[in-house]
This record gives sequence, structure tokens and C-alpha cells, in this order.
Amino acid sequence: MPYFGSEETVKELKRALSNPNIQSDRLRYRNYIFRVIRSMTQGLDVSALFMEMVKASATVDIVQKKLVYLYMCTYASLKPDLVLLAINTLRKDCADPNPMVRGLALRNMCNLRMPGITEYIQQPIMTGLRDKAPYVRRVAVLGCAKMQRLQTLTEIDATIVNELYGMLRDPDPVVMVNCLRALEEILQAEGGVVINKPIAHHLLNRLKDLDSWAQSEVLTFLLRYRPRSEDELFDILSLLDGFLQSGHTPVLAATLRLFLQLAAEHPAVQVDALVRARGPLLNACGAQSRELRFAGLCHVQKILKSQPGQYGAHYKRFFCSYSEPSYIKFRKIEILVELVNDENVGLVLEELRGYCTDVSLELAQAAIAAIGRIGRMYSEKCLDILTGLLGLKQEHITSAVVQTFRDLTWHCPQSTVLVCRAVEGCEETIQDAEGKQALLWLLGVHGGKINSAPYVLEGYINGLKSEMSSAVKVELLTAAVQLFLVRPAEMQDMLGRLLQYCIEEESDMCVRDRAILSYRLLQCGVAETRRVIQGPESDPSMGVIIGRPEEPVSNWVSTFNTLTPLCGRVTSPEPTTSGCTNHTTQNVVADPLAGTSEETEVYTPEDKQGVIGMSLGPTLLHEDFERLWLELKLSLRENLGFPGPRSSPETLQAALQLVKMQTLAFSRADTLPWKAYIYTHCSGTLVLAELLQPTAEPESDGMVLSIKQKPEDRQVLQEFVAVLKTVLQTLIKGTS
Amino acid sequence: MTPAQVGSDRFTWRRVTSSRSSEVASAVGATRRRLSYVSAAMSVSAVFVLDLKGKVLICRNYKGDVDMSEIDHFFPILMQQEEEGLLNPVLSHGSVYFMWIKHSNLYLVSTTNKNSSASLVYSFLYKLVEVFTEYFKELEEESIQDNFVVVYELLDELMDFGFPQTTDSKILQEYITQEGNKLEVAKTKVPTTVTNAVSWRSEGIKYKKNEVFIDVIESINVLVNANGSVMSSDIVGSIKLKTMLSGMPELRLGLNDRVLFALTGRDKGKTVAMEDVKFHQCVRLSRFESDRTISFIPPDGESELMSYRINTHVKPLIWIESVIEKFSHSRVEIMVKAKGQFKKQSVANNVEVRVPVPSDADSPKFKTSTGHAKYVPEKNLVVWTIKSFPGGKEFLMRAHFGLPSVENDELEGKPPITVKFEIPYFTVSGIQVRYMKIIEKSGYQALPWVRYITQSGDYQLRTNT
Repeated sequence: MPYFGSEETVKELKRALSNPNIQSDRLRYRNYIFRVIRSMTQGLDVSALFMEMVKASATVDIVQKKLVYLYMCTYASLKPDLVLLAINTLRKDCADPNPMVRGLALRNMCNLRMPGITEYIQQPIMTGLRDKAPYVRRVAVLGCAKMQRLQTLTEIDATIVNELYGMLRDPDPVVMVNCLRALEEILQAEGGVVINKPIAHHLLNRLKDLDSWAQSEVLTFLLRYRPRSEDELFDILSLLDGFLQSGHTPVLAATLRLFLQLAAEHPAVQVDALVRARGPLLNACGAQSRELRFAGLCHVQKILKSQPGQYGAHYKRFFCSYSEPSYIKFRKIEILVELVNDENVGLVLEELRGYCTDVSLELAQAAIAAIGRIGRMYSEKCLDILTGLLGLKQEHITSAVVQTFRDLTWHCPQSTVLVCRAVEGCEETIQDAEGKQALLWLLGVHGGKINSAPYVLEGYINGLKSEMSSAVKVELLTAAVQLFLVRPAEMQDMLGRLLQYCIEEESDMCVRDRAILSYRLLQCGVAETRRVIQGPESDPSMGVIIGRPEEPVSNWVSTFNTLTPLCGRVTSPEPTTSGCTNHTTQNVVADPLAGTSEETEVYTPEDKQGVIGMSLGPTLLHEDFERLWLELKLSLRENLGFPGPRSSPETLQAALQLVKMQTLAFSRADTLPWKAYIYTHCSGTLVLAELLQPTAEPESDGMVLSIKQKPEDRQVLQEFVAVLKTVLQTLIKGTS
Repeated sequence: MTPAQVGSDRFTWRRVTSSRSSEVASAVGATRRRLSYVSAAMSVSAVFVLDLKGKVLICRNYKGDVDMSEIDHFFPILMQQEEEGLLNPVLSHGSVYFMWIKHSNLYLVSTTNKNSSASLVYSFLYKLVEVFTEYFKELEEESIQDNFVVVYELLDELMDFGFPQTTDSKILQEYITQEGNKLEVAKTKVPTTVTNAVSWRSEGIKYKKNEVFIDVIESINVLVNANGSVMSSDIVGSIKLKTMLSGMPELRLGLNDRVLFALTGRDKGKTVAMEDVKFHQCVRLSRFESDRTISFIPPDGESELMSYRINTHVKPLIWIESVIEKFSHSRVEIMVKAKGQFKKQSVANNVEVRVPVPSDADSPKFKTSTGHAKYVPEKNLVVWTIKSFPGGKEFLMRAHFGLPSVENDELEGKPPITVKFEIPYFTVSGIQVRYMKIIEKSGYQALPWVRYITQSGDYQLRTNT
């Protein structure tokens, strides 16, 4: 940043530095050099003084030397030819009797990042490696790495590499660690420094002599070593055990990672290690410095994924303190959600409720969302709290609560009744688009259970002109059509007005298209509309939550003690949150337009049956099924050998949906012959199946299963049959 | 090599066959396998010190693998995040990560493009703060600008090529001095300590009178809920030394440590179970791990020998009951009762009870049974000071504030009541120094002095309003 008068300053300094009178007065001369450095620090370009500064480097005053060297390193790339003038002084200093001067000169020589410097620094570095002062050796070892960086294209110098490997035995611990650091840099292309058995043992033995920086680094290097035998492994683990209790967070984290990675084959040992490191980690979460506290929290969060129970008793450590920055509070809230259990749920919820009225809107909303997530397991308590919050009539709180309600009914259908009762009357307080969308979704899907639903919608329809957000309008259209199906008398008139407005006056194409789509759909008849527009009211994949799934340690250990855990989004919204808003929308789009099914997959959880990933969407129409069924050849016909289930068709449908098979049509339970048509999508193929119970005597003869497939895939077919059989047999057992 | 940990039940520890150096040498070089890339533990490309406006005050390019101009992106991103309320201690721009801390009116920022250990980098930045603070008393914009030469010198020694080198400020102070600016005394010798076996103490120290002062300081952290239940409490203790001893003395410190007493089979008197014990590097950890002996050669002058944490339920030493009633548009009435819940013989000194009041409060009136209360409008606090507060006593403070009829629309948080105090001659945990043995080969007599202090740490009581 050159500023006004900079040229003047440079000229003046130049004059002063070349003035023999000043040169002879050491103190004044030095003060001018200070001024040069100060100008450089302030961003002034003083590279024009290079010549004069080089002269100033020949001095016995070490502080002046340092500053001149610093100057040279800064401008070396701009004045490569002039640097060569300084090389001589530097090389002379490298042979100075004072190790301080030798080290200083060598370090700065290696810092001159300019091409062609290598030929001058190679010799001093090699001498430096054998210097009797450890201070110089430290500098020289890192100098090797700097040299390699300057000439990345050239061959790696094997003599240097061997020398450095040999110097791992250096009595000075910093020299030893610097060797590792340098080798890592030099051998980067080959995968870094090699840690074989003797080196690993050597490092382990010296670990205690190192300072904490070096310890953390050596522990990270040791990650590469794989012990040859079980005995050796356990010897190493017991050696490292003490570091697991280290009060120095980086050392602790590095040790823990090494433990987890070494004991990858011994899950019990991993669990033990995590338990032993719990105390120190909890302390890291309460560290004085906010950043270290944050790092600690992020890592605890990782561990919680594998061991949710472990921190349950320590929940109070994760209560937010008034003065903490919001990033720490957000993490703590997330952790509280994850460690909640039967014992602490009451107090955790009470604490979270306190945050809901925080001055920071973001924090309040995060706390409300957190209560909603706990609500999936402890719905009653949470619904009480959330309903109570609505009474505050605060815009942002009500909006967040309604959004939470939406997610809750989606994940946890039993909460619907209470939610429907609670949302009445909160439309006045909601002002933001997200809150409105959530409310509309609730009104559309559960409108039958909310008395005032049509009147609320009417309010929105009347105020449509002043509504800015097109997402709200689309949601309103869907909700109105859905509610019309349930309560036609109350809705018909206003739905007409809504459609008319949206088709004729709306300028947003998405809204208009959606309105036209709804209109045409309604023209096809109510039954058709209902089939298309009414999706499931809750996540069809949800079963009873027994416990949280525990992630294996290996999922996160490779990023433990790195930047990754800290870089995750501070508030990670669940994919389902956005998913279910689109859900009704999705059905409509996916169907008649045969849209992409990518989004549908978002909230299709992993298939429990595991082997093949079957999925429900995209939905297949009756006509398409019929056409395909007639077109395709029979892939398989099999007598299942057991009768059809006598359970109600709804049960069968629900059961099949659990394994991601869609029932298209079936005959009533008591008719014969009994038929059912099923289909599913699976690894790129479409599987169509027919179940037929031909005779009146179910015990004598089994069901016949016919399958058609497009395109053919034998393996998928077999899997499909196996899964189907399991489901049917389970159902038969259940009913008999 | 010494055994790892006495208490470890799971792993039967055995010696790892100690490698002879010849083996190391012979094994090297030859085997260069291709290995999966492991992220570097420590990686700092450059360090910057910025002022509050984001202007670079001083910087040091250690590695040269990240363009120095990348720092220009740091401050705008920071500002943007602050506006959105989503501040994060790690920022990224492209492939560059910024890890930053804030200290008084400065930002310390490190750049890197590797996936390195975050806590290691933060520890280093805090180390910088620690070292600078020891040099300049206070680390702030002015002290950086006034001392830029020393800052450059320190940055040069603390780290090389992105790796921490000499970070002990005691050692650094031996060869980088502020007096170095005066030409005459510029030191040019490498202190022996840089490479000494005992890196934290120089040889040839002499005192006329040999003394050691031991301070045992315990801070109490308490969080009390609005309804009066203790949410969390713990004790953080530290033992500080001021050593004025000649030569290279060997010291041994005896505490009433529960683990030690259990080891030796003694069970007399009160013992204390310490957790997370951290030591100064001078303490021989191996000795401590094997038989709980704290033996060391102390650094000269002041140093923190050890710190510990005790995770027991402590009764809050000063208990506060408060009633804060806010009558909208007219007044706020505050009643605070403080009770000393410690031994009658002890006295808490300089007690400060800080009670939050609304920011638009005015015309304060106070009544106290002891001490005096003061309104600090810039912090929205009433500070009630009691110079000396004997144990078992109870005091009362009433405050009355007016509120304007036009109320402040802004929502205000609910700051907690905080308390500060200091109780001398007393430790909550009951930790005691049983002996301090001082052995020096010249055989001089030295006197150890011990002092105990309990003080408030993070002492918060939440309020209802």
C-alpha cells in the first residue's frame, strides 16, 4: 500500500543510509535501519534500498543483522541479482564462532525464496547438519526441507535423506523432531517419512523428553506405523497410556487418535481408550481459551456419535455460560441433544427452555429446534415446553416452534393431536416465510384435525397480494388443495379464488404453473387428485425408536484431531427438515411429470434389509404398470408354498412399504382368488410382482408369485424374492 | 523408559524393546514405501497480527506455501460472519484456512492450507500471546507497534518453517531482550539453556539468602440456577513458586495427595484426590507416575509448578439470594442477601457482588447492612463491595432504580450475578503442603514459605428476571 509521500521517505532513507557521517555513527545508522523496517512493516515498498541494506548486514550488532536479514528475505524475490551480493556476508556468518550468528545466517539464507539460491546454500546446510551446536543443527535440518521446496522438480537428494534419517538419533530432541518434519516435506511425493519398526520404537522411547508441540507431532507421525504383532501393539498402547491423560489438549487428542487407529481391530480397547480420555476431554471443553474449548466440543461431538451414553452423566458440563460466544453455545446445544437420556432429560430440557428466550434469535431458534429433536424420543415433555413457548407471542419463537412442530409430526405421528391443538391461533404471530410454510404444511396435511384451518387459509388467501415469498404461495396452493379434499364445503369457494388469482394475476412462473397443475388435476376428478396429492402424513420409514444407532469409530477417526470437525456447519439442519416441506410438493411433481426421483431419495433411509437398496419412487401409475406387465416377459414364477396372509390389506401395505415395496392394488381380504400387485425400484431396475392365491382352500396350496423385471437382473430378483418371503412369513406368523 | 500408568488395569505394560541407534540407522533410507497421506499435525504457513480494523500490523511468512495476500480475505469474511451471528474460530477462503484468536484489540491469525490439528495451532497462537505478554506486560496494538523489532525477533525464534522451536519465554528472555535496542548491551551469546539438559534454568545463579515461596491458589467455579440449585461446581488449583535459590537445587514437594497416601498405606488426616494434574516441564513425570513424588529442579524466579482440578461438589462459599422485581415503566427493586458459607475463623476479603440492572435504569438508591454499593452504568451493574466478610455472617443490600416511562424496546439478556472474593489462609479442597525439601550440592540451608488462598473463579448465579 504505497501512500502519499512514500517516494520521499524512501529517498530520504536512501540518502541517510549512504551518508558516510551517519554510517560512522553506529547508533544513528541503526536508527535509520529501524526506520526502514518500520516502513516495511507499515506496507511501504522500500525495496529500492536493497543495496544500502545489504551493506548494513556486515556488522557485529546482532539485532541489526537480524533486521537486515529480515529485510532481505522480504524483498529477495524482487531483487534476485542484488541478493547475490549479500550471499558472501551470509556465508561468512555461517562460519562465525558464535553459534547464534551461524544459526541466524543459515536460517535466513534458507528463507531467501528465490530461484538459483540452492547452489549457494547447499554447502552451508551440509556443514550445519554436523555443527556442534544443536541450535545450528535445528536450523540446518529445516533448511534441508526449505531447499527441497525451492527446487521441487529436481530429484530428491538421497544423501540428505539418509543423513536426516540418521540424525533421528540426535541427542537434541528438537533436532530429532525437526528431522521428522523435514523428511516429511522432502519425501512428500513418496508419501512422507517412513516409520518402520526401529524408528517407531525409537520415537516412542523418546516421547517423554519432547515438548508438547513435538509430542503431538510425533504422535501424528506414529499413526503410520502398524505394529507387527499383538504383543507389540499392546506394549505400545501401554506406553502411550500416560499421554491419554495429558492435560495438554493437542497431545491428548493426538494420543487418542493414535490409540483408536492402532486398536482398530480391538473395539473393546477403543471403548476403553475413549473412557480413559473422557476426563481430560471434558476439561478441554471447559478450557480457558474459547477456541480450545470449541475444538474440544467438536471432538466430543464426534465421540458421541459412537458412544452416546458416555457423556450422559456429565450433561451439566455442556450448559451454556452467559458470556460464551455463540459458536460454542450452538455446539453445546447440539451435544445436549445427543447425550440426553432418561435420567437427565428433565434438567436438560429445563436448561434448553431457558435458552429459548435468549436475546440472540439464532440461539433461541437453535434451542427450540433442539427441543424438537429431543421430542422425537420424549415427545410429551417437549410438546409441553413448546406449547408453553407459543404463549409468549414472540414472532421468532412462534415461527421456530411451528417449524419444529412440522418436523415433529413428520417424525413422530403420535404427537399430531397435541400439535394440532397447539397451532390454532398462532398464525397472527408468524411473520417470516419459513414459519408460514411450516404452518401451511401443517394445515394442509393435518387440516382435518384443526378446526380453524379453513379460516386461517382464508386469511392467507385474502392477503395473497401482499405476500412476497413465492415459496409460501406454492405451499399455500398445496395446502388449499389438500384441505379441499378433506373439507370441501368450507374450502371450495376460496380455493377457486386462489386458483383464479394465481393463474391470472401471479407473475411468478413457478406459482402460476403450480396453480395450473392443481387446476387440471382437480379437473381429473377428486379421486385422482387425492391419489396424487395426498402423501403420507408422517415419515413412512419411521419405526419405533429404540435407541440411537451407534456409528463405528472408524467413520470419524481419520479426521479426529484435524480441522475437519471444526469446519462442519455450526447448525447442521437435518436433511429431513427441508425434505418434508417439499414432500407434498414432491408427490405432485414426481407423478404426472415423471420428474426426477433424486430428492425423494433424500428421506428414504437406508434399507434395513440391507443387501439391495430398494426404493419407492418414482411412483408408477396404474396404466403404466398394466402396460409394462403386458409388455414384459415373465422372469420368474414360483409357488411360495405358504398361503396368503390373512391380515388386513393395510397391514400388508404398511409392511411392504417398510421394505420399500409399493403395493399398487390388491383384492379384498376375503375374496378368492386373491391377488396383489407390487412393484419396487432397485439398483436401476424396476421389479413388478403379482401374488396370486388361486384356490379356496388356503392350507392345501400356496401362493404363486410371478415376477417381471425391466431390465433383467438375476441377483436383484433373488434378493427381492427373499425379502418378500420374509415379510409375508412374518405377517402370517403375526396373524395366526 | 518408565512404566506408563499405575492405575491402568487393562493394559499390562511391558517395555517396548529399546531400539539401539545402529538399528535405526540401518533401517533407514532403504525402505521407502508409498504411504497413504496422513494430514500434517502442525502446519502454520504464516502468522499475522491485525488491528481491530483488519489492518496487518506485523506478519511473518514461515513457509511460503500460502500467498501472503490471502489475509486480505480474512477480515471481510470475519465481519460478514459476525453480522450473521455465525462467528467461527476457523474461517476458510478457497483452499486456505484461517485460524484466529482475539486478544485485547488485536487479532492473531494463522494461515494454512493443510488439514492440521486445530487445537495445536490455537495452542501456539495462545503461546504467542503468553510470550508477548511476558515481554510487553500488556499485549495490544500499541505495544506491538512500539516493539516491532522484538516482535520480529521473537517470531523468528518461536517458529521456523511453520514448526514451533523455542517457545519457553524464560529461555527466550535470556537472549532476546528489549534492552537489545540499546547498542551497548546487545547480547550475542547463545544462552546455554537453549541446548542445556536443564533447559529451564541457567547455571551459576547466586542469591545471598536462599528462599522459596510457595503459593497454593484455588479458584472456585460455580454455576447456580435461577431456582437456587447448584448446576456445576469445581475447583481449579495451582501451585506457584517464587524461587530464589542458588545453584542447581533439587526440590521435592510433599502434598496430602490421596493416591500417594493410599500407595504408602498411610491413612492419617485429610487427603485430597486431585484430577488432571498438569506440571511444569521441570517436574520429573516418570517419578510422579511411579510413586507420586513431585521432584524437580525449579526455574529461577516465578513459575507455575503445577495445576490440578478437583471435581467435587463444593458448597458455594458465598451464597447469594436475590429478588429482582421489575415494575415496567416505573422502577426496579433489588434485594440481595449474601451469606458466607465458610468457617467462622476465616474472612473473605474484597468481596464484590455484581448485580445486573436494566440498561435504561436511572436514579439509583442503595441501602446496605455493610460495605457500599455503587452503580456502574457503563456495565449495567450494581457493584456491592464488602472489604471484609467473616464466615457465617449474612449481609443485605437493597437497591432501587427508576425506569423511564418510555421503555427500551431492545430485548436484554439475563446476565447472571457474579461474585468475586478472596479468602486467605484457607483452601476449599483442604490441600496442604506437607514438606518442601531443598537439596543443593553446596549444602546451603534454604527456607520454604507457604501461603494459601482461595478465590472466586467463574462464579455465577443466574437470576429470574
